[in-house]
Amino acid sequence: MTTSSGQTAATSILLVEDDAPTSWRLQDALGKAGYQVRAAGTLGEARAALAESAPKVLLTDLQLPDGHGVDLIRETRARFPETEIMVISILGDEESVISAITVGATGYLLKDAFPTDIAATVRDLVAGHSPISASIARFIVRRTQSSVEPPPGPPLNTAKLTPREIDILWGIAKGFSYAEIAGHLGLSKQTVPGHIKSIYRKLEVHTRGEAVFEAVQQGLIKL
Amino acid sequence: MSEALASPVAAGRRRRRASRLAYYLLLQGLIAALCVLALRQSLPQPPAQYRLTDFGMSEAGAEHAVTLPLFTASHYPPDASPRFTAQFVRPATEAGRLWSVFLPRFTNAVEISVNGVVIHDSRRDPAANRPDRNTPQIADIPSPLLRDGVNDLAIRLFVWGPIPGFLDRVWVGPDEMLRPYYDLRTTLFVTLPVVFSAWQVILAVILGIMWVMRRHEPAYGVLAAAMAMGFLQAFLQTPMGETPLSRLNVVLISSAPLESALVLTFAMLLAGLQWQRWWLLFFVPGIVLALGSLIGGPPVSRALFPILAIPMVGLSLLIMAIVSAHSALRQHNVASFLLGCAVTIMLTCWIVDLLSVFQIVPNRIFTSRLSYSAMLVAIGAGLTWRFARALNQVDGFAGRLVTQVREAEEKLKASFAREEERARAAALGRERARLMRDLHDGLGGQLVSIVALSERGSDSAGIGDAARAALKDLRLVIDSMDDIGGDLMLALGSWRERAMAQLRPHGIALDWQIATAQGLPVHPELRPWHVIQIVRILDEALTNAAKHAQARRITVRIETMAVDDGTGRGCITVADDGKGFELAADGGGSAGSKAARGLRNMQNRAARCGIELGLSSAASGTCVKLQLPHRFPDSDAATT
Repeated sequence: MTTSSGQTAATSILLVEDDAPTSWRLQDALGKAGYQVRAAGTLGEARAALAESAPKVLLTDLQLPDGHGVDLIRETRARFPETEIMVISILGDEESVISAITVGATGYLLKDAFPTDIAATVRDLVAGHSPISASIARFIVRRTQSSVEPPPGPPLNTAKLTPREIDILWGIAKGFSYAEIAGHLGLSKQTVPGHIKSIYRKLEVHTRGEAVFEAVQQGLIKL
Repeated sequence: MSEALASPVAAGRRRRRASRLAYYLLLQGLIAALCVLALRQSLPQPPAQYRLTDFGMSEAGAEHAVTLPLFTASHYPPDASPRFTAQFVRPATEAGRLWSVFLPRFTNAVEISVNGVVIHDSRRDPAANRPDRNTPQIADIPSPLLRDGVNDLAIRLFVWGPIPGFLDRVWVGPDEMLRPYYDLRTTLFVTLPVVFSAWQVILAVILGIMWVMRRHEPAYGVLAAAMAMGFLQAFLQTPMGETPLSRLNVVLISSAPLESALVLTFAMLLAGLQWQRWWLLFFVPGIVLALGSLIGGPPVSRALFPILAIPMVGLSLLIMAIVSAHSALRQHNVASFLLGCAVTIMLTCWIVDLLSVFQIVPNRIFTSRLSYSAMLVAIGAGLTWRFARALNQVDGFAGRLVTQVREAEEKLKASFAREEERARAAALGRERARLMRDLHDGLGGQLVSIVALSERGSDSAGIGDAARAALKDLRLVIDSMDDIGGDLMLALGSWRERAMAQLRPHGIALDWQIATAQGLPVHPELRPWHVIQIVRILDEALTNAAKHAQARRITVRIETMAVDDGTGRGCITVADDGKGFELAADGGGSAGSKAARGLRNMQNRAARCGIELGLSSAASGTCVKLQLPHRFPDSDAATT
């Protein structure tokens, strides 16, 4: 446990990472930025920590010694809707990130990111700006394009995305900045993060009932 | 040695052939004998009590007693026709019954008078006028003419050739006693030929259509012509006397030699012989007869018929018999064998008819025409059957073909699937090789350098840099595997993120400019390895700017340059505001060999992708310009 100081003392973070050096590194980066960080190495420890109090931010690895981070994200999302969740990933690959997004995560953090970037990403997240990378945006927009064969990778329902949201994702995938996207689409620059947050929410499968509803919508289940 | 072996074989073959010929001849002889036996069976006759055989014959003014049946001369002028007279008794008890005169056979026509009144003239019946038909006649005697007791019967026999006149025995009696015998003969000699003719015309149409559809089988056409001719001669009959059609009637007499020539041609074609021009000779007698008859009229036709038509028919039958026997024995042609048997029957009938014509047998029932018609019908039916069977075979063949095609298709599908599997495996192998090369180029080298640095136990910053570079390269390799659909902008989007993350700690600003609306043109041929090379060139340029040039701001400019032919050419420029290169164009210099190697690497990578790399450096900064090709090369020029 790292005690914190300054204005961000109220921002509590639960860090779930089984690799000790990586965990230290992230704790250092976040602690230096003034966050109050609790660290857990296993799913069990994380659940115990959650039972104590709800963190403002949950940062979790997916492969844990006693379970999968996706379960933890789903549970946290159900119990503490206010908690912002991020996945810690080595590669930022769509396989892990998308599966986390569909259970309620809003972005990912690379394990080797520079300490300043780590702190900045968490700060943006707390401020309501869900970051989205070009490769994840690319993966999502590619799923919006109809194809005959089911595409590889985790299942993803993009049916609820609006054309505008898809345009924004295209812009991100091609490396445009928020300002550039806003300029192209005739939006105000400040509304783009809201759109991205909305995209995350739409990609999330909230409940079992909704999952069935969406499966019916997509023709995966015939009634 | 082979000759010693061959000669017994040849002798054996000769023996076998001789024995087969003997069997064949024996069979034909048996058929001929059966035929003769059948022909000797006389038709049933009315009761003998009504038969009249003793007549008085007045001929050329003289009168003498004759006994029927009687042959006469072969030609009389109409007004000098012989007249036969006899008397018959109609008992008074028969007064209430209808009596008739029944003439079963005569040549060529008769006029019947009872008690001096003419009651019947057969010349008005075209069918009865034909000497080759065995048409009977029956004449009802009007009852007022008949007297109880003795009555006079007079028969005038008209003879106009070409064969001698003939008058068979005459029956006079109650109509109900005589008519059944008349009806039997009418059925046999009038109705049956009509039935055969009807069949012939149907078969002529069928065979004609077959020939039209299958021109390479002239046998069908020839037989159709023979049948059509037989039909014409059976139905085109005109009454006696000089009408415009009677000339045509005369021509019809040539139908017999023409038909026999046609059937002969058919038999030879059926035996597998090829049509020869000299076969036209078969048709000469018929044509001469037709022309002679047309020009010279009935007398010429009568004169020519015995010397042209009758021998032609016989000759045709003989040739047919020989050809059929040869084909049946040599080629085991079943059709020819059956035809040979039929020809034997016809030949027998023809000989018997000839004997009758020459008055050697006292019989005037001609059977060759009837047997010919029957044979034609049999052949036509047989050919139609054969055709139907051939169609069935074609159907069966088509069915087999469908099965075979399906099997072949399945085999092809299987082999295609195998081929596809092989191609997939090959593609996978190539992809693995590429991946290995890419990992070796970047990640491998960086990991080795981490090992080396950590073994030296110093410079932890160096280890961190190398590990970070390794991770970056791993992400690049994985990222490049993604299908970006030829849109390089999607790859550059990810690169921008990584570049910004890389430059941020150094405090260097990345200015990202997309000069044209859609950025770069889409290249459908773009492959992962192109993307990797391009990104590595950009990375190298970035690293040079950040590490060696000490730049504060790096500008990446992406644009599509218009080319003359209307297409666009992509261009990526990386410019920095650093101190520029100090090294000279020869590659050596104070900036160190590392930078020089980096530049060489960039050049190599660009060349492999067909990219034109432009480098310019000055004190105010360095500019690296990548001009993308119109089309990225398929194969890696550096590895092939």
